Amino acid sequence: MSLSRRDFIKNTAALTAASYIGMSLPFVAGEASATDVASWHRGTCRLCGTGCRVQLGINSKGTPVAMRGEPKSRTNFGYLCMKGMMFYKIMNHPDRLKMPLYREKKTDKFREISWDKALDIAAQKFAESKQKYGPNSTAYYGSGQCLTEETYLFQKIMRAALQTNNVEGNPRLCMASAVGGYLTSFGADEPIGGYANIEKSSCMFLIGSNMAEAHPVIFRRVMRHKMNNKDKVKIINADPRISATSRIADMHMQFKPGTDLAMLNAMAYTIIDEKLHDEQFIQDYAVFRQGKKVQVDMDTYWQSLQDYTPEKAAAICGGNITAQMIREAARMFAKSDGTMTFWCMGINQRKRGVWANNLIHNLHILTGQLCKEGADSFSLTGQPNACGGVREGGGLCHILPGHRLVAKEKLRNQVEDAWGIPRGRIAPKPGAHTIKMFQQVNSADIKAIWINCTSPAQSLPNVDLYRKGMAREDVFIVTSDIFPTKTTELSNLVLPTAFHFEKTGVYGCTERRSQITPRAVVSPGEARPETWIATEWCARMAKYLNDPVVLQTVKPFLGKEMYVEQPEAIWDEYTQKLTKHRDNDLRGATYKVLKQMADGVQWPAATESYALTGGTVMKFVKGSDPMATSESKDDKPFQFYGPAHADRKLWVWVRPQAGADEEPDAEWPMYLSTGRIIDHWHTTSMTGRIPELMRANPYSFVEINPKDALKHGIKPNDMVEISSRRGKVTMPAKVMEGPIEGMVFAYWHDMHEDRMINKVVKDSFDPGSKEPEFKICACRIKRVSGPKALKPFVV
Amino acid sequence: MAEKGRSRRTALKLLAVVTGFFCFPTVSQAKTLATSPLRDNLLRPPGAVMEHHYPGKCIRCGRCVEVCPYHCVELLDIRHGLSAGTPIIDIEKSPCFLCMKCVHVCPTGALLPIEQHETRMGLAVIDHHTCVSWKPDSLLMCKTCYNVCPFRDTAIRMEEFRPHVDERYCTGCGICTNACLINRDQGGKAINVKPIYATIKLPEAPQ
Repeated sequence: MSLSRRDFIKNTAALTAASYIGMSLPFVAGEASATDVASWHRGTCRLCGTGCRVQLGINSKGTPVAMRGEPKSRTNFGYLCMKGMMFYKIMNHPDRLKMPLYREKKTDKFREISWDKALDIAAQKFAESKQKYGPNSTAYYGSGQCLTEETYLFQKIMRAALQTNNVEGNPRLCMASAVGGYLTSFGADEPIGGYANIEKSSCMFLIGSNMAEAHPVIFRRVMRHKMNNKDKVKIINADPRISATSRIADMHMQFKPGTDLAMLNAMAYTIIDEKLHDEQFIQDYAVFRQGKKVQVDMDTYWQSLQDYTPEKAAAICGGNITAQMIREAARMFAKSDGTMTFWCMGINQRKRGVWANNLIHNLHILTGQLCKEGADSFSLTGQPNACGGVREGGGLCHILPGHRLVAKEKLRNQVEDAWGIPRGRIAPKPGAHTIKMFQQVNSADIKAIWINCTSPAQSLPNVDLYRKGMAREDVFIVTSDIFPTKTTELSNLVLPTAFHFEKTGVYGCTERRSQITPRAVVSPGEARPETWIATEWCARMAKYLNDPVVLQTVKPFLGKEMYVEQPEAIWDEYTQKLTKHRDNDLRGATYKVLKQMADGVQWPAATESYALTGGTVMKFVKGSDPMATSESKDDKPFQFYGPAHADRKLWVWVRPQAGADEEPDAEWPMYLSTGRIIDHWHTTSMTGRIPELMRANPYSFVEINPKDALKHGIKPNDMVEISSRRGKVTMPAKVMEGPIEGMVFAYWHDMHEDRMINKVVKDSFDPGSKEPEFKICACRIKRVSGPKALKPFVV
Repeated sequence: MAEKGRSRRTALKLLAVVTGFFCFPTVSQAKTLATSPLRDNLLRPPGAVMEHHYPGKCIRCGRCVEVCPYHCVELLDIRHGLSAGTPIIDIEKSPCFLCMKCVHVCPTGALLPIEQHETRMGLAVIDHHTCVSWKPDSLLMCKTCYNVCPFRDTAIRMEEFRPHVDERYCTGCGICTNACLINRDQGGKAINVKPIYATIKLPEAPQ
C-alpha cells in the first residue's frame, strides 16, 4: 500500500477542511466594475428602420456594457425594444471576424492573410474581370445597413472606376416597391411627413405591416396615442393574418392573400360614391393616370372602379370582408381629421407591389389626407439606412446619388462633373437588379462580385437556385462582414469590418431623418471600416487598370484618418456636391450639426442654421418646407416639386386587381407567407449570437390556422414539412388563430438548412420595382412527426 | 514511544469524532433530505399529485424522462434523499412545452392525465424590481414573456405596456421564465414560477 497513514490523515483533514471552508465561503462577488458604465456615447440603433437614438455605455476598459435610449430624441423619446437594448452584446462576440480570410478555391479551407495581400487580391480580380470580360462582369451587392458613406463610396467606385451600374443592395428586396409607389404617385421618393404626425392623427390604417413586432417603438407611439384617445382615434388593420398589431385595432379586415388591391379600389369606390372625396384638393393638385403616359379624367377613373363595388370586392377578398366593412373603413378613412396609413413588406414584397402602393396613395389624394397635420401616406422602412444610404445615396442599379436616374444624361453629367471625371464615364444603361444580378452570377456573366454587410445566400427568395451560382468556382466573391454567415461560406475572400459604433457614419431612417453614430469603441483584431477598405481597394485597382480616372475616384479620401476624417470627407462630398438643389438637400446636415443634435436632421435642410432646428417635418408645405417656397411656381400652399413629375401634380392611378404570381392550385393548395418576429433581425447572424434573444425564439416556426391543422392532423409543436415547387423545409408548428384559413405563415430567422424558409419562397418579382414576392407563394404542408427537441443554429 | 503512540491514537480518535460529528447528518440535515426538492423554477411535471404524496407514488421508472420530446424532464440524483430518482423540470434550463406526453405514460398515477390549460405546475410571478418593463421610469420596452406565452392574452396580458400574469390561467409551464431576458447574474429572472400548487389544493378550474 503506497498511501501512508500520515498521508491518509493529512488528506482526510485537508478534505474535511476544504469541504467546510468551501461550504461556508461567501458568494464570490463578480467583478464589481464589469457593468459600471464609465461613459455614454450617442448613436443610432441599427436593428430596424425606426431610427431610435441610443446611448452605448462603455466601462473604464472601453468595453461596451449597456445600452439605453436617448430621451431627447424625437424618434423614440428614449424608448427601446429588446433588440435595441441587447445588441451591444455582439460587439465582443468570439465569432467576430478579425483577420482577412482567403481561399483560392471555394472547396479549400480559409487561411488568414494580411490586409495588404487581401486588398491586392480583390483589386487584381476585379481589374482582371473588367479587362477580360467587360465592366458589367463586376458587381456590388450592398445593404440597407451600410452607412451612407459606405454605400455612396462603393457605388462611386463601381460607376466611376469600374464603369458599371451593377450596384445593388438588399433594399431591392424590401423597399423598391415603395420607391416606385412614391415616385409614380407623388413624383418624389420618401414620405411627406414623419412620426410627428402619429400624435396628431385621428385614424390610422395599418395594412401589410406587423408593426408591433417589426417596428415596436413606432407601434408604442401608435398605441399610446390610441390609449390616450380611445374614442377619438380609430385604428383599422388590414392583413390576411391576425398579428400582434391587430390587438389594438378597432376593425380587423382579414382577406385572402393577394386581394388587397381590390379592397383598396373598393374603398376608393366608396369614397367617390358617397362623395367623401375632397374636390378642391383633387382639382388643385391631382390628375388621373392610366398606364405610363396616358392621362385620363375623373370619369374614366370612376368607370374603372365599377368592377370594384364593395359587394364585388368583398366576393373577391373572401375572409371576413363584407361590403359593409369596406364602406365603414372608407368612411373612417375619409371623414377623420387626419388619416395616416402605415404599410411595410406586406404591400411591398409583392408581384404588384407598386400598384398596391399607388392604390394606398390614391385614397390619400382623393380624400386630401395629405400635407396636413396627422395625415400621411407613410411607408415604414425595414432597415436603418435603406432610405438614407441606398435610396438617397444611389445604392441601386438605376439611381445615382441625390434621387437622380441613371437613364437621364443630364443627371449623369451632373454627377460626373461633381466627381471631376470625364463626361460619359458613367454607363448610360441601368445595371442588373438584384434577381437579375444573381441570375447573372448563376450564368457566370458576373465574374467578380463584392457583397457587403448582407447575406444573400440566405435572404434571396428561392435561395438554393442562387446558391448554386454563388458556389461556382469561376465567380470570385468578396464578402465584407463582421460575422461568418451563409454567404461567407460561398466566398473566396472574407474581409472583417468594423461594426456600428466602431466607425463613424450616418444613417437615414424612415422619416427622412439623417443621424450620425460616431466611433466610440475599438474594433477587435484587424477589423477595419468599409470606407477605408473600399478606398484602398480602388487605389490598388488604379495600378492594375492603369487608368487615372480610377484613382481620381478615391483621391479626395485617400490617406485620410480612417475613423472620422475619411467618412467626413465622403459625407461632405456627397451632401455638398450631390444633394445641392435636389429634393434631399442635406447641405446643412454636416457632421458638426449632426453631432450636436440629440436626434438628427430631416431633409430638405439646405443650411446649417435650419438643420439645427431639426429640418423639415412636412415636405411640400409652404411654411414648413423651405423648398416649397423656393421652388414655388404658383400661390398654392402645397408645391409638389419632386423630380419625377414635371407637371407638379399628384397622380391618381387606375390600377386593376392583380393576384400573386403563384396562386394555390389542387397540387399546392396553401398560401405561404413569410415574416418577422420581434426578437430577431433578418438572417440572425447578429441576434442569433445574443443568448437572451435566442432563448425567446431559438428557431423559426410555422403558424397554422386551427382549421387547417385539424384537416392535416397537425397538433401544436408537431414537425411540419412545408414544400413548394422549389424546395422544402421542416419546422415546428404553432397552431393559432393567426393566418387566415388556407394560409400558413413562417418566420425566416433561422440559419439551419432544414428550416430556411427562403428555399421555398418564389423568386418572381414586380415588373416595375423588381422587388421579389416574398409574401405569397403556393405550398403544401404535411405532418412529419411529433414534437422534437431542436437545437438553435448559428453559422 | 508509548506516550507518543497514545497521543497519536487519541489525536486520531479525536479527529474521527470531529469528522463524524460534521459528516453524519444532523437532525436538520436529515430533515432536508426528506423535504421536497421543489423551489422557484424547479417544478414537477404536469399533473403531479400533491408534493407530500409524490415520493411515495412515484416508482422512479423514468418513463416521463424517456417520453419527453424536449428533454426537459430530468431525474433527481442521490443528493435529494427521499426524492432521489423522481422527475423534475428545471425551467431555466428547458421549460415544459405542455405536450402532455408524460402524464399518459406514468404507470402509478404520480402524474395524472390532465388537459393543457388545466395544468398547474406553478404560478408565474413577475418581480417588479428586476423586470425592465416594470421598473419605474423605465424606457425599455420588453414583452418577451407575453410574446412567448402559449396562453397569450389570457395567462399573460399587457396592460399599459407592462406584463400582468393572470393566476386563473397561468399553467406554470415556465416558457416565460426561460425566455426572460434578465440573467441570473443580473439578480435572477424577472419572472419566476413558484410551485405553490404543490402544497395547496388547486383552486376551482376556471370556466
